Amino acid sequence: MAEQLLNTKPDLEKLTAIIADYAGQRWPLIPLVQKIQSEFGYIPQESVPLIAQYLKLFPSQVQGVISFYAQLYTKPRGKKVVRVCRGTACHVRGGKTILKLVKQNLGIEEGETTPDMEYTLETVACIGVCALAPNIVIGDRVFGHMNPKKVEYLLKRGGD
Amino acid sequence: MQPITITLDGNEVSGYAGMSILALAREAGVHIPTLCHDDHLPDIGACRLCIVEEEKSGALMAACVTPIASGMVINTRSPRVVTHRRTIVELMLASHPDACPVCDKGNRCKLRGIAAEMGLSLTQLQRVPQVATIQDVNPFIQRDLSKCVLCARCIRACQELVVEGVLDYFQRGFKSKPATFGDVPLESSDCTFCGTCVALCPTGALMERDAPYRGTTRNKVKTTCPHCGCGCSIELEIKDNRIIRSIPAETDGTGYRPLCVRGSYGYDFTHSPDRLTTPLIRRNGSLQQSDWEEALTLVADGLEKVISKHGAESVAVLGSAHCTNEEAYLLQRLARCTIGTSNVDSGSRLYSAATILGLATTIGLPQPANHVEAIEKSDVIMVVGADPTTSAPAVGYAIKRAVKGKGACLILIDPRRTRLAFFATLHLQPKPGTDIALLSALAHVIVKENLLDKEFVVRRTDNFEPLVRSVEHYTPEYAAGVTGVPAGQIVAAARFYARARQASLVHGSGITQYPTGTDCVRAIANLALLTGNALRKGGGITTLYRESNSYGVMAMGLSPHLLPGFRSATDTRARGDLETLWRVNLPDPPGLTAIEMLQGAISGKIRALYICGEDPISTFPDRQMVTEALASLEFLVVQDIFLTETAKLATVVLPGASPLEKDGTTINFEGKIRRFRRAVTPPGEGRPDWQILAEIAARMKRPLPFSHFDDIVAEMEDCVPGYQYYGGEGRDFDIQSTGTRQQPVEEAPRGFPRFSPVEYQVPAKLDDHEYPFLLLTGGVFPHHSNSIWSLKAPRLKKFLSQGYAELNPEDTHSLGLDNGDTVKITSAAGEVIAPVRSSADIPQGTVFIPCSFPDIAVNVLFRIRLDTQSKAPAFKSCRVKVQRVDSDG
Ligand code: SF4
Ligand code: SF4
Ligand code: SF4
Ligand code: FES
Repeated sequence: MAEQLLNTKPDLEKLTAIIADYAGQRWPLIPLVQKIQSEFGYIPQESVPLIAQYLKLFPSQVQGVISFYAQLYTKPRGKKVVRVCRGTACHVRGGKTILKLVKQNLGIEEGETTPDMEYTLETVACIGVCALAPNIVIGDRVFGHMNPKKVEYLLKRGGD
Repeated sequence: MQPITITLDGNEVSGYAGMSILALAREAGVHIPTLCHDDHLPDIGACRLCIVEEEKSGALMAACVTPIASGMVINTRSPRVVTHRRTIVELMLASHPDACPVCDKGNRCKLRGIAAEMGLSLTQLQRVPQVATIQDVNPFIQRDLSKCVLCARCIRACQELVVEGVLDYFQRGFKSKPATFGDVPLESSDCTFCGTCVALCPTGALMERDAPYRGTTRNKVKTTCPHCGCGCSIELEIKDNRIIRSIPAETDGTGYRPLCVRGSYGYDFTHSPDRLTTPLIRRNGSLQQSDWEEALTLVADGLEKVISKHGAESVAVLGSAHCTNEEAYLLQRLARCTIGTSNVDSGSRLYSAATILGLATTIGLPQPANHVEAIEKSDVIMVVGADPTTSAPAVGYAIKRAVKGKGACLILIDPRRTRLAFFATLHLQPKPGTDIALLSALAHVIVKENLLDKEFVVRRTDNFEPLVRSVEHYTPEYAAGVTGVPAGQIVAAARFYARARQASLVHGSGITQYPTGTDCVRAIANLALLTGNALRKGGGITTLYRESNSYGVMAMGLSPHLLPGFRSATDTRARGDLETLWRVNLPDPPGLTAIEMLQGAISGKIRALYICGEDPISTFPDRQMVTEALASLEFLVVQDIFLTETAKLATVVLPGASPLEKDGTTINFEGKIRRFRRAVTPPGEGRPDWQILAEIAARMKRPLPFSHFDDIVAEMEDCVPGYQYYGGEGRDFDIQSTGTRQQPVEEAPRGFPRFSPVEYQVPAKLDDHEYPFLLLTGGVFPHHSNSIWSLKAPRLKKFLSQGYAELNPEDTHSLGLDNGDTVKITSAAGEVIAPVRSSADIPQGTVFIPCSFPDIAVNVLFRIRLDTQSKAPAFKSCRVKVQRVDSDG
């Protein structure tokens, strides 16, 4: 499914059906794009003119809203999101090196997704478990006390 | 309403509820610096420069978005406020490139002005200038977003004033900027290069590209954009007898109106190197330079010679909608009095006669349209056969503002998918030429479902019963079969229109250029009468005359059927009045219409023709016939600013002045008298056109009493309603308020508006097999229909300089054509060669060829078929075949 997303056009019929559902609602834009994101994993660029047409907005306005929220993604994302913490506690305990290692390991930069659609790399400001610093999150699991070996091990195992 | 009193810098001042602190301060003469505020835009409080302090609470607030409240104590200059403002400006400067000395915005930059006012120069803060990355390559606008201060004026201008919605904020934080969808260059977006964002940008972030001069100037003239019938107010900046900039201006007549690409960047046709600069005389078969004395004498003598040899009725005078009112008035005076012929007309008849006749025999007025403001207030707007976004952009903006801002319902009736379709609640796409069936079906539904305004119909109209009978058989199902529009849509449109509180009907030449044009206008009028909208304030019918001064030249009597002031040429009282005023015996009516003049030239009835501002070879249908007609004349005078195809055949060519080079008036489609004021002088020996006409008359046996411009105006005041109040400089006028509205019509004896039954004529289906396609023609962005002016404006030309033939992708596919392939389009009358473009915006089975480009002379495809009633030829569509032309021949 994920690979298909990257290589093929999103399913326009499905998109249109989702959008049409929201057309009559009040303030439908945010819930609609969230719904699209939950179905597709991201908000395909192709959906913007469709959303605009149905909601009687301009494409630029829809894009403006989507690009305003960090939680809304405009590119397909991997099966698992790797978030490296860049909070102060992690920073003093080598968070920067951890980030570098993760990048090397996955061969991608921040905000990018591996070609096999497995991982998307992001950073976060703090995840609230500073005692375990440096931390990373893979999917919804937090891993503390990271070190180079552990990074390699975790990513090889697919974050389980 | 209770006034609200606040203390402003120690003084008590009062305002009304809802007023912002800024507005009140301005009223009280207190200066608060602003950057993102603009009087024409909704405030958003983005820049925070207008910050003020409320003394009691100590709160800092943005004056532009904070409404006044009773008892507020506002300080606009406290040390705290001043420090804050300085910091804001310093921060802006810190992220701004150090480019002031080389920035073309120069003294017009607001940021620079404010910094100077505060005594700030190079900032102490660490500089983090943004990098400019956008590469726009269009000929109109360049963006350098490193100079952007994120005031969102451009965004609001684009979304709220012109409603193109091209720009919005993109991304957040430091990366935030105004961007197009996909962050593409403007030319790849929906941008129409109206220039509104450029005019409102406070910094050098948005600039006019290829501007003729980069500095600033104090020499400014307020005048009127000459390109289309909207007649927007513009302010021209002038340097060394050259226009260097055009921006929207505010005048009493029209208020602030954003311009379109032609108003903002199309003024430079006036400086085109192709302008005529001296009179030309034909010697030994070719046109050669001459001087005024020789040329004027030759014209006067030549006309007199033809008059004495063949009689005055063998001479004809043809003006155009490019004429000012004064020129049109003078032209018909020259024809009727000096020459003594009734053969006087203008080329704009081709597009406007059906409307004038259709409305005059129904609603009963040579009716100027609704004001733009009224359209904007309508809750339902029905647009028939018009693409105002191209032909009358100011109306397009108003319609879009009504839809987006006020929730109005737009019903679009157009076979093509135009830009307005995006805004339409209903888009009905009838087969070309079937509008009468569709409009009659709307009337049918309104009658059947009893949606009519009974009181209005009973008390204020005539001839209702015949209309009811005539629409009886136009059931939605029947109309669906004829037009291809689903019956459900027809019913829905009728209900929307009839149930509206106030509905505007906007129509353009898309319906009047058919042989049945007059009937189609009547069908529209019937709808407006049934629902009472015809005479309802803010409802009514808006005609988008195709050319700039179409309405004005008719009002001036530049027509064989009309005398000045829209009085009929056969009306004995009117003739008597004018004979007394003019001290002549008027020649017998009616004279020949434009097309009849040309046909007369071929038959030998017409021997001499005086043409002012018209180019029939390029703009009339049946190019072959027109050329033959002009070539068979004994004497042809052409007065124009360019050497048009028509001028090339002339005996004498006289160089006139563009509207930006002379004084005069024009009447826009709203019926407002708008002024042209001379901004620059004509190139070479060009002269204001009224002067040329007056001098010719002076050299003839029956001269005219005009030696000054004011003499003409004085006489017009006596015979054109509206002009008697026209007097002083600086006043803009509204013909509507002065009585031409609602004149009784001859055919309505009781002076009531009258229903006029019409029938859809099933076309003879002979040509379908040989000519399977239906050709449509019309104007195309950014040009103005077939006006030579926009094509001579370098930047407009650069944007689109070549014609094409547009076909539906299904058709290109089945013909095996690719974009750019060359095809031959053949009709029964002729053929043209054009490159192909495929576009889903036009229906299958149709070909669209813009009429704007001389390289594809679409008028050769048309045979003259007159509208039997208005005597205007069909010039919108005909049947054609499309064949591929292989590159090797
Ligand atoms: S481009 Fe100009 S108008 Fe637009 S936000 Fe930037 S500074 Fe303001
Ligand atoms: S030129 Fe007009 S359409 Fe284009 S971005 Fe500016 S305001 Fe919008
Ligand atoms: S809308 Fe017409 S009058 Fe106004 S600027 Fe454009 S071309 Fe000129
Ligand atoms: S002018 Fe008030 S916030 Fe910009």
